[in-house]
Amino acid sequence: MSEVAALPGLRLRALTKRFGTFTAAEDIDLDIRRGEFLTLLGPSGSGKTTLLMMIAGFLDITSGDILLDGASIAGMPPEKRNFGMVFQGYALFPHMTVRQNIAYPLDVRRRPRAEIDRRVDEMLELVQLRDFGHRLPRQLSGGQQQRVALARALCFAPPVLLLDEPLGALDKKLRIEVQDQLKDIHRRVGTTFIYVTHDQEEALSMSDRIVIMQNGRIEQVGTPQELYQRPRTAFAASFLGKSNFLTRDGTLHALRPEKIEIAPKGQGQGPNMVSGTIRAITYFGSILKYDVAVPGMDEIEVDVDAWRGGAAMAEGAEVDLSWSDTAAVPLERD
Amino acid sequence: MHDKQFMREAAQEGAKAFKEGRMDRRTFLVLCGMAGIATQAVIAGDAEAAANEIVMWNWGGQSEECHGKAIGDPFTAETGMPLKFDTSGPLQGKIKEMVDSGNVTADVCDADLFDAVALGPSGHLEPIDYDIVSKDRTLPQYALEHGVSIILYGYAFVYDTEAYGDNPPKNWADFFDTAKFPGKRSLYKWANGALEGALLADGVAKDALYPLDMDRALAKIKSIKDDSLYWGSGSEAHSMVVNGEVSMGMIWQNRGRNIEMDTDGRYKLVMNEALAMPGAYIVPKGNPAGREAVMKFIATAQSVPSQLTLLGCLGMTPSNPEAFAQIPEDQQPYAITSAMNIDGIVYNDPTWWGENGGDAVNAFLEAIS
Amino acid sequence: MNGSPLTRFGTGWLLVLPFLALVVALFLGPIANILWLSVTDPEPGLGNYAALVTSDNLAGILWTTIRICVITTAFSVVLGYSIAYAMVHVAQGSRNRMLGLLLVSFWISVLVRTFSWLMLLGRKGLVNETLLGIGLIAQPIEFMRNELGVLIGMVHYMIPYAVLPLLASMQNIDTRVLAASRSLGATGTQTFWRIYLPLTKPGLVAAALLVFILSLGFYVTPAILGGGKVLMVAEYISVQILVTLRWGTAAMLAALMLFGVLALLFVMSRFMKLSTVFGGAKA
Repeated sequence: MSEVAALPGLRLRALTKRFGTFTAAEDIDLDIRRGEFLTLLGPSGSGKTTLLMMIAGFLDITSGDILLDGASIAGMPPEKRNFGMVFQGYALFPHMTVRQNIAYPLDVRRRPRAEIDRRVDEMLELVQLRDFGHRLPRQLSGGQQQRVALARALCFAPPVLLLDEPLGALDKKLRIEVQDQLKDIHRRVGTTFIYVTHDQEEALSMSDRIVIMQNGRIEQVGTPQELYQRPRTAFAASFLGKSNFLTRDGTLHALRPEKIEIAPKGQGQGPNMVSGTIRAITYFGSILKYDVAVPGMDEIEVDVDAWRGGAAMAEGAEVDLSWSDTAAVPLERD
Repeated sequence: MHDKQFMREAAQEGAKAFKEGRMDRRTFLVLCGMAGIATQAVIAGDAEAAANEIVMWNWGGQSEECHGKAIGDPFTAETGMPLKFDTSGPLQGKIKEMVDSGNVTADVCDADLFDAVALGPSGHLEPIDYDIVSKDRTLPQYALEHGVSIILYGYAFVYDTEAYGDNPPKNWADFFDTAKFPGKRSLYKWANGALEGALLADGVAKDALYPLDMDRALAKIKSIKDDSLYWGSGSEAHSMVVNGEVSMGMIWQNRGRNIEMDTDGRYKLVMNEALAMPGAYIVPKGNPAGREAVMKFIATAQSVPSQLTLLGCLGMTPSNPEAFAQIPEDQQPYAITSAMNIDGIVYNDPTWWGENGGDAVNAFLEAIS
Repeated sequence: MNGSPLTRFGTGWLLVLPFLALVVALFLGPIANILWLSVTDPEPGLGNYAALVTSDNLAGILWTTIRICVITTAFSVVLGYSIAYAMVHVAQGSRNRMLGLLLVSFWISVLVRTFSWLMLLGRKGLVNETLLGIGLIAQPIEFMRNELGVLIGMVHYMIPYAVLPLLASMQNIDTRVLAASRSLGATGTQTFWRIYLPLTKPGLVAAALLVFILSLGFYVTPAILGGGKVLMVAEYISVQILVTLRWGTAAMLAALMLFGVLALLFVMSRFMKLSTVFGGAKA
């Protein structure tokens, strides 16, 4: 860990924000490595946006510190922090063309005209909007506006880019497309991305690391795989992916639906096995979902790749469910 | 012209103070405020004429009570016809519009005699029937074809005794002499009276005023322009004086009385060379009550008791020579035709004003603005 | 329901039609009458309009009117902008109180306000007496009864009219846009001039038009606070109608005002959509 702390990057130290008696963020410690794609994930009210706004400088911190490459930036006004930011709804300047929007951060820094023009061209190229420079924001689609906001925020090569639910306004199909573009851009510019979302799929597919937040606190930090494979709390397990919960030896365990083998009654095998009755089968194209009623337990969900789903098993059929020792993850108490 | 403003002012609040003798500044301001609110209500008008009643178009406020008491009561006692009021103010433009539109709702207008000259020849007024109305009960020069003077009011001036106590101004020549009498002046904005005062100051003889030499009058007006303010209403004229904005102010004579009372005599009224203005009753063409009925009404207004009641109630001086001798002691200094003042006054020529008033007002406005 | 073309045209419109016709008649009728008068009274022809060129008096009145209206508009809009800006940025409770005070001012008679200014800034008003009393000045300052007095009175009267459209326009601004500007490196001042001000432009134009057009019709304040020496066109028109019976001149000036304002709106519409100015559609 000391190795990480020595690295240049953004470090949050015991960061706390209170509004009156309400604590919006409490005792947040986080090291964000340079170039990392870090996602703040949580339901609304979990404190993720508060945290982002403190990093951006729009919210004063109640206590704690924010360090950039070792120097405190707490108390510095937003325009001095040099962080790019993409807002929910994009917040493009409606009275300026795409070019003027993107040039804005360089304009206010009074850079030479030639440099601005060259840089804006690069940015338009980066977000594939080369032919849209002279349009006004309202003449663009939602996805295009989103890319302009991104280009504008990256134009002055900020060390850190803050993104506040930037895909929230897009429809699902477009979101996935833009996720790929965003990820690609991140790879190309190498800037640290701090990304706020409540969408777990977005978090899983894009992030180097994810910070799960709840009630103003960090619930768990890790790579998508770590969090998915080894959730530390029931909240982490249920918020990121789906999970069955069962109590073994007095400890609550999380068991992912796809890690359970399902077999006709009597054919199951393995160290952990229960029997039950299929209550419902739902077809999702790529997977089949079985809801299995097990006596003395909560209903257990089992996901099976659809192509290998047994035709023999129908609703009402008696089945055996089994899983490996490592599949069930013991959880800390919330 | 806007001399009718005089009527409105006198009617709405001047008269009250006139009777009570004084009015403090706060009351005055409250009244100003009320006037601002009341105007809308007044403009709406509130009477519809019919054949069996007389509708008087006047300036509202106290004049309803005063005209009712002075003329309405004896007229109703004699003829059985009630007197009603439209208090929206019969300005020339409004009378013309009413007659032109063919919807005449008033029988008699409390107006100026020059209105009779301006509107009569174009057929907007009924001629006065001098078989019913008496030519002897008004000043001889003020019994015209389309209007007859019932009362007189006048343009005089007040001065600050603290500024000029030892050597007070006595006439218009002194009023216009800012070298001998330094200080600000206030004059009437719509030319009337101001032009005559300027010519008298410039040495024109009283009986040689008309036709007014406009160029000469305006040159005199302009000579004190930098030291002058101009008022458009009686309350404004009053406030310019009592608030110390001017040291001499041209004023309607009954307002002047109010100012004397108001300031405990610090400001004094000068009635010498006061310009007598004939206030007249005129009848819109095709009045609903008919010509005969309204002529009887006008004749009633000429009677000495009616004339004296109007003097006591509104501070308007009688036009009927029979009433001159009966002006009470306390009104003598302020009444235009009292024995005390009658030799010093100058008579307005309604014919000149009726024929030239529009041009004169516009030329005056150009000179002062 | 598959209605006939008539019902598809809208029963609503049919219901409104008589009233619409009435409004058009009541509105256009008098305007037509004014135009007619302006070319027929006192004699047919363009004599009334020719007087604009030949009469120094009319040109002077128009120049005075336009000068005073422009200055009034400039000051009202600038001061109104500051007030609206403050209102948008104070706490909700204070904003409601400020709005209350602003609306109350609409109910105060213009005459009362005018006389209040005389009490305050007149020759023997509170301010002059105080300054004289403490020996700061030897002669009273002539605030009132001149063009300065007219401007003070008119700006005071017009400020609320400027504040309301500006307030609406400021409240419409997406505050994230302002935050975006800061996050992109702009200082507060840069953000104001480059983002805030341009985004409130529709409100500014609306406020300026409203104040300018209302100022054109101003009558009482110039008449009193100008000491009779500041003659504006509204008062002049009134005198020509009521007193001097020059209805043709009055109608000509009224028509001139009408077309002047329409021309102004036309010119503005060349630069921006008027619907955004008057709150029809959002930019």
